[in-house]
Formats: sequence, C-alpha cells, structure tokens
Amino acid sequence: MTAELSMAQAVVHAAKYIGAGLAMGLGAIGPAIGEGHIGQGAMESMARQPEMVGTLTTRMLLSQAVAESTGLYALLIAFMILLI
Amino acid sequence: MKIPVKFSKGEKIFLGIFFAAYAGVAVWNFGKVEFPSGIAHVWQIKVPLPSILGTLNPMTIIMTALLLVILIYLAFDFKRHLKKIPSRKQSAIELVLSFMYDLVKDVTPAEEFVRPVFYIATTLFLFILFSNILGGIPGIGIGVSPNGSLKLNLFTDTWHSPTGDLNTNVTYAIMVLFISHIFAIKLKGLKEWAKGFISPNPIMLPMNIIGEFAKPISHSLRLFGNIAGGGIMVLMLSYLVKYTFVPVILWGFFGFFVGTIQAFVFSILAIAYIGIQLEQ
Repeated sequence: MTAELSMAQAVVHAAKYIGAGLAMGLGAIGPAIGEGHIGQGAMESMARQPEMVGTLTTRMLLSQAVAESTGLYALLIAFMILLI
Repeated sequence: MKIPVKFSKGEKIFLGIFFAAYAGVAVWNFGKVEFPSGIAHVWQIKVPLPSILGTLNPMTIIMTALLLVILIYLAFDFKRHLKKIPSRKQSAIELVLSFMYDLVKDVTPAEEFVRPVFYIATTLFLFILFSNILGGIPGIGIGVSPNGSLKLNLFTDTWHSPTGDLNTNVTYAIMVLFISHIFAIKLKGLKEWAKGFISPNPIMLPMNIIGEFAKPISHSLRLFGNIAGGGIMVLMLSYLVKYTFVPVILWGFFGFFVGTIQAFVFSILAIAYIGIQLEQ
C-alpha cells in the first residue's frame, strides 16, 4: 500500500472500498427488515400464548437464520471485492 | 430444561492444558501480529486429472477424513454402551434423534420413505454439526502467506472446517437434489414424475427446471456464507485485538451458536426438499 500508485490504480482502489461498503450496506437492509418481521410475529404470538415460548423461540431462530442468508451473500461479495 | 454440565477428571486436565497452551500462544503471538492478508487463499495442489477435477484442497480432505473417523468411533462407542435404562448422554442423543424423527414423519407423506429420509437428514446433521463446531475451536492448520508459500497456523486460527469450503456444501446439496428425484421416481413412477414438471400447464416447464437448479445453489451457499464469512470476520476482529481474549468468545459464537443453527437449517431444508418431491 505504501508504494507509489498511478492515478488509474488509485481510482481502482477507491472504487473497491466504495463498492465493498455499498454492497454490505445495501445488502444488509433486506435481511434486517425480514428478521424484524419474523421477530415481530414471534413476539405477538408469544404474548398471545405464553406457554408456547420454547417452541416459538426455536422456530424464530430457524427462520431468522434462513432470512439472514441474503445478507451473508452480501458479506461474502464485500470480502471478495476487498481481498481477492 | 437445563442440563448441568459436569466434567470428569481427565476432561478437566485436558481443558486446563488446552487453555494454558492457548494463553501461552496468545502471549507469544502478541508482539508479532501482522495483517492476515492471505486469508482469501487456501492451500491447493494440482493433480493430473481433467480440468475441473485437477485441483485438490488438501486441508478439506484431511479434516473430512478426521471427522469421519471421529464420528464412526463415536457411533460405535454409543452402540456399545446402549442400555435399557439410559444414561444422561444416551437420553440426550435419543432426545435429539426422536425430535428429528418426528419432524421427518410430519413432512414426509409416504410411510415407507420416512426411515431413509431420517437416515439421510440425521447423517447430514451430525457431520455438518461436528464440522461447524470444529470451526469454532482454536486449532492447528496450514495456510498460505501472501508470497505464496505455506505456513503453519498454531492456534491463531480455528481448525479448518470442511463446510467452510464450497466444494463440500455443493456436493451435499446436489446429493440431496438427486436423492429427492430418485425417491420421487421410485414412489410415483417415471411418467407421474415427469408430469410433475408440467404440472399447472406446459408453459411452466422452464420455470420448474430453473427452480430445481436454484435449490442446490441457495442450499449450499447459505451454509458456505455463514461458515466462511464468520471465519473471515473472526480473523479480522482477532487481528484488531491482537489475538488476546476476545477471539475465544467470538469463536464460541460463530462456531457453536451459528454452527448448530446452520446445521439444523441445512438438514431441515433437505427434509423439506425431499418431502416436496414425494407429494402425490
């Protein structure tokens, strides 16, 4: 990184960082909304039926893990832009 | 439900030695931490085989073989100590297995396919669970330094997890796809199975085929993203705190919590994909 960069290389580096930031930031929006909806539904049904808390918690964690996957794709893409 | 954790004397000695060694290595590493710049590259060797088979990842092969040996030993050990009145370990394992069996029985519509699906799903679950947990324990591995030479990682990284390699996950996902279609052909016959592709009307044929191919892609990439992304994130954060105290907690979170949930998700999705194909 300390070596002298030409203008084109500097632009490429800057674009890499901006691209990785955008990929992660925009990619995190969808999973956040989805997991919020899942948590909301689970909380509402837990309030309605407090005896179901154990089952609902496991099911909630499972569906959140599925909803999270698009965010993880964004994380992988960001790492690939930065490191490869 | 809370299961009290008790260690025998040998386990206590092992854990004590392990943590003492880990603390020593952490102190030893403290002074000479460098940015983990080679983390996107893995050790590969070339073999004289046609193009796509020509590259091997030796760490994945070694760790898979090690895991298989461990799992087979545990299975035989478990079978030898089976009792009518179960011990604590046996009842815990029976709890997990009967939970899986009930789940399979709910999803699979055909009676005679319940046990095969149960075997497949449980085998996948156990292998992926153990390999994910292995990815959460500090261990010994062989990495690649930035200039291309091999280097030994002594407790600065976790054990290399086979599920952190996309090849393993794609293999299992494609295996599940083939199994689901073979079971469907066996149950319904070739004609009925082929009719399933043009089910609402023939215009939907390309959509159905693309849907079938999309299944293994999302199925494998979900697991890979979780394990590999978690691993890279832990390495970055470990670099920030110079490999001292936080990595143990982070390794615990990404290895045990995320690993268990993702292994469970993988096997449940396998059950669901097979169950969808078996519907009349």
